[in-house]
Amino acid sequence: MINGIVADIQRASVHDGPGIRTTIFLKGCPLHCAWCHNPECIDFEPQTMYYPEKCIGCGLCNEGCFSGAKVICGREMTVEEVVKQVLLDKDYYGTDGGVTFSGGEPLAQREFLSALIDACKEQGIHCAVETSLIYFNEEIFRKIDLVMADLKIWDDKLHKKYTGVSNGAIKEHFRKLNEMNIPVIARTPVIPEISQGIEQISEFLKKLSNVRKYELLPYHPLGSAKREALGIEPDGFTIPSAEYMKGLEKYVFIRE
Amino acid sequence: MYSYASRLKAMRDTKVAHTLAKREQNGYTDLDDFGTVPISEGYWVEPWYNSTNGSFYGYDGMCENFCRVLDAHEPYIDPNEMLCGRWRDMLVNYRGDLHYMPDWLKKNPKTQEFMKSATNQWSKRWDEGRFPYDHLKPLQLKYNIQTGIDGDAHFACDYRIGFELGFGGLLEKIEKYRSMNPDKKAFYDAEEKVVKAIIRFVQRHIDKLDEMIASETDEAVKANLQEMKIVCKNIRYDAPKTFHEVCQWTAIFNCASRIYTRDGAGFQLDGLLLPYYERDVKAGILDDEKAKFLIANLLLIDPHYYQISGVDENDKDMTNHLSYLILEAADSINIATNLTVRVHENCDKEFMKKAVYYLLKNKNGWPRFCNDKALAEGYMRNNGVDKKTARERIAVGCNWMCVPGKEFPMNDTVKVNVAKVLEEALKDMRSEGTYSTERLFELWQEHLKVAVDVTAAGINLHLDHIWEVTPELVMNLMMKNTIERGEDISQCAELYTVGIDGAGLAVVADSFGALEARVEEEKLLTWEQMYEALDNDFADERTRLILNSAPKYCQGGTVSDEWAKRLTDAWVRIVKAQPMPENRQLVPGWFSWARTIEYGSNVGATPNGRKAKAPISHGANPNPHFRTDGAPTAQANGIASVQCGYGNTAPLQIEFDPKLAADEKGIDTVLQLIESHFKQGGTLININILDKEKLLEANENPDLHPDLVVRVTGFTAYFASLSPQFRQLVVDRFLTGI
Repeated sequence: MINGIVADIQRASVHDGPGIRTTIFLKGCPLHCAWCHNPECIDFEPQTMYYPEKCIGCGLCNEGCFSGAKVICGREMTVEEVVKQVLLDKDYYGTDGGVTFSGGEPLAQREFLSALIDACKEQGIHCAVETSLIYFNEEIFRKIDLVMADLKIWDDKLHKKYTGVSNGAIKEHFRKLNEMNIPVIARTPVIPEISQGIEQISEFLKKLSNVRKYELLPYHPLGSAKREALGIEPDGFTIPSAEYMKGLEKYVFIRE
Repeated sequence: MYSYASRLKAMRDTKVAHTLAKREQNGYTDLDDFGTVPISEGYWVEPWYNSTNGSFYGYDGMCENFCRVLDAHEPYIDPNEMLCGRWRDMLVNYRGDLHYMPDWLKKNPKTQEFMKSATNQWSKRWDEGRFPYDHLKPLQLKYNIQTGIDGDAHFACDYRIGFELGFGGLLEKIEKYRSMNPDKKAFYDAEEKVVKAIIRFVQRHIDKLDEMIASETDEAVKANLQEMKIVCKNIRYDAPKTFHEVCQWTAIFNCASRIYTRDGAGFQLDGLLLPYYERDVKAGILDDEKAKFLIANLLLIDPHYYQISGVDENDKDMTNHLSYLILEAADSINIATNLTVRVHENCDKEFMKKAVYYLLKNKNGWPRFCNDKALAEGYMRNNGVDKKTARERIAVGCNWMCVPGKEFPMNDTVKVNVAKVLEEALKDMRSEGTYSTERLFELWQEHLKVAVDVTAAGINLHLDHIWEVTPELVMNLMMKNTIERGEDISQCAELYTVGIDGAGLAVVADSFGALEARVEEEKLLTWEQMYEALDNDFADERTRLILNSAPKYCQGGTVSDEWAKRLTDAWVRIVKAQPMPENRQLVPGWFSWARTIEYGSNVGATPNGRKAKAPISHGANPNPHFRTDGAPTAQANGIASVQCGYGNTAPLQIEFDPKLAADEKGIDTVLQLIESHFKQGGTLININILDKEKLLEANENPDLHPDLVVRVTGFTAYFASLSPQFRQLVVDRFLTGI
């Protein structure tokens, strides 16, 4: 039996790929993006998140917290347990929807992810993955139905500064996916405070014929409360203005 | 400018002004808008009381007071509109039902004087002197039963009867059958007076139009008023012949039926109006723009429940060009509208997409969707219902369906608070001293049986005597058998499939789930500790949270989901096993209507961690905060599993802000949700797609968004007219569903 660490399961997700989907957030990521909106998915081990506003002050933390003040993020689950959750909404996936493996970096739990994909495919469920492309696994990319991958910053130094890793491998993996002719939806989270080189990223992606779509995802502060609950400093970034996003519109593209 | 667009905008602005003015006159109303307009200066009706208890009943009592109230109604003509007529006041107000009595009437010095001089029985809707039911009251109270005794007239007219005959033809029909049934003089006298009062109402509009035409200087406006006058003259006595006339006839009839006792229901709008539309278009006297304007005008006059689309008895799609125009018309006026789209796999897919598009575009809670398959097949499981009849049974109420002209279902007027039933079962188990969820379930069923039995007794009392208390003099005009036999519809309906709804499902399911998980399995609490917590209304918050954090109904595959199914099976079994006399049969559903606050106020603390007097759960919905992601799919799965299966509904009520645009992806996603829920056997979907910021802003200050419409339950309401407590309830439900 293969187990993995799951941070959360979100049903009826409509922004993580086509149709209605169940998103499985796998815990752990080798990148440490400064703006990460799922900071609880970076560490590979279960963590306690603390929401003091929910605490009722009963003093019985050790006997279990029922108020939602102390929440353990990350639990070990079997493939069967995850698939059971995925199947709950099978009737709602239709022809487009299905399951999206996100994180964290789902490929960091390679064996678990591979087994999950197999089990879901066996049930006829469309599988998508959201990945940083820091890892490359041909077997997984061959069998998955949709790859959504980020290229966050063009300049390698800046990439290292803000994510903790070089983007050399990521660019290389984009090229490899193109060689394998695996369709990809490419995305860049837009952080106004960083010179991300979105023009260069767009140019690079345009040369790859497998990239079906290039999307820009404006930074949002949904991770703030979670950062606080984990005792991490605020990231200090701001939401890009509508004007700022409009200025970048020319770099996005869709290929039919 | 006097274009359709500018006129519609002006009509919408007037509607907003009316909403605010009504709130000023009536206070907050947690009800349907009903399309009323504010009471005009000096409006007064002197009621005629024919009972020693200071109220009025029966053919003469209802007829005389209907005529008085209708005669007191001034004509309503807005030169921007093409149809005239509005209602303001209704008969039941004069029976002193304080629950519904508007503030303007309570404040009136004459009313106050009357209240003092009347007997101390102020709420006298039912004639308890003649038809007492004191013997039922203790149990009705014990189980918090909404009895349906003198409840609203929840059935539907067959408008084809009226369209064919007109008011003059109805008078002739009354005369014809009067001579055949000489012993029914009181009935025919009353029906005749009612029709004549309606004709007078039309005439007053004609007179007023004459005055307005004489003083109107704008040629375009004048021409419109002249056309309105011709239409009114044509339908005053004769049957409507054109599209314009049939819309005006409907508007007048609806005003009359609403005045009667808030009565009436809509019809298959795209079906019944189609022949008039086609004929007029062919004759070159109607184009789509005018047709849309007239429909928008009709929807503005009264937010009756109309059904559109669906299939006929041979499963053939009934969607037509008019179905599309109706959606476009509703969009052009975009007010509180109760259009229900009947969904079937054979229905025009493009039409379904268009319906969803408007839901996403306007975020005003319309249209809603009902499932032909589950409703028709379910209804056919009742005795004596064939496929043709089942297909005729259309969505015309909050949660309910009805066969127009034939059925007397009392739908949505009869409810059992199953959370109150649980409270009684818990008491019994405590006195027995042996505790288990299985024993509690047995006791719950025993109490439920008693509750259903006493509810049935109330229903039978109503059906036996309502014709002597509140005969349906207006709606009788368009029902089968009534005029022919000289009988009220309550006596001569072809179908008595009487709806009985359970309210509070999620509270009970989560209570059983919490007891099984936290007390029996995990042993985090003892039964005694649980009872003590209920006694002291969860003085210890941790105890409450232990129970409240147990797996809930609609989370998916939980212990409470299983309990919800078991509770539903028991509810359906007990309701269907209840013996009923003659050709009457009970039909179970899950629905609370907008009474969650009221029902909750009668129930103490419950084992799901609900505090005493807190609202009960809404309809078949889960309790608020059932999942952190609030997944609508989770809710839809759960509700599909608790359908009662006999053609009445357990609606899926969803409010969420999916951040989806009205584009292809948004439409496909919402349509997928609807179709999947219906494939699973769901019956009715009310969706509020709301803008979070706007809703929260309106909750702080409703006057910032007086045009914001929310689908409260089956009905829609202007958010600004709801009480603060009720607004909060909607917001809480919404926050769960983000």
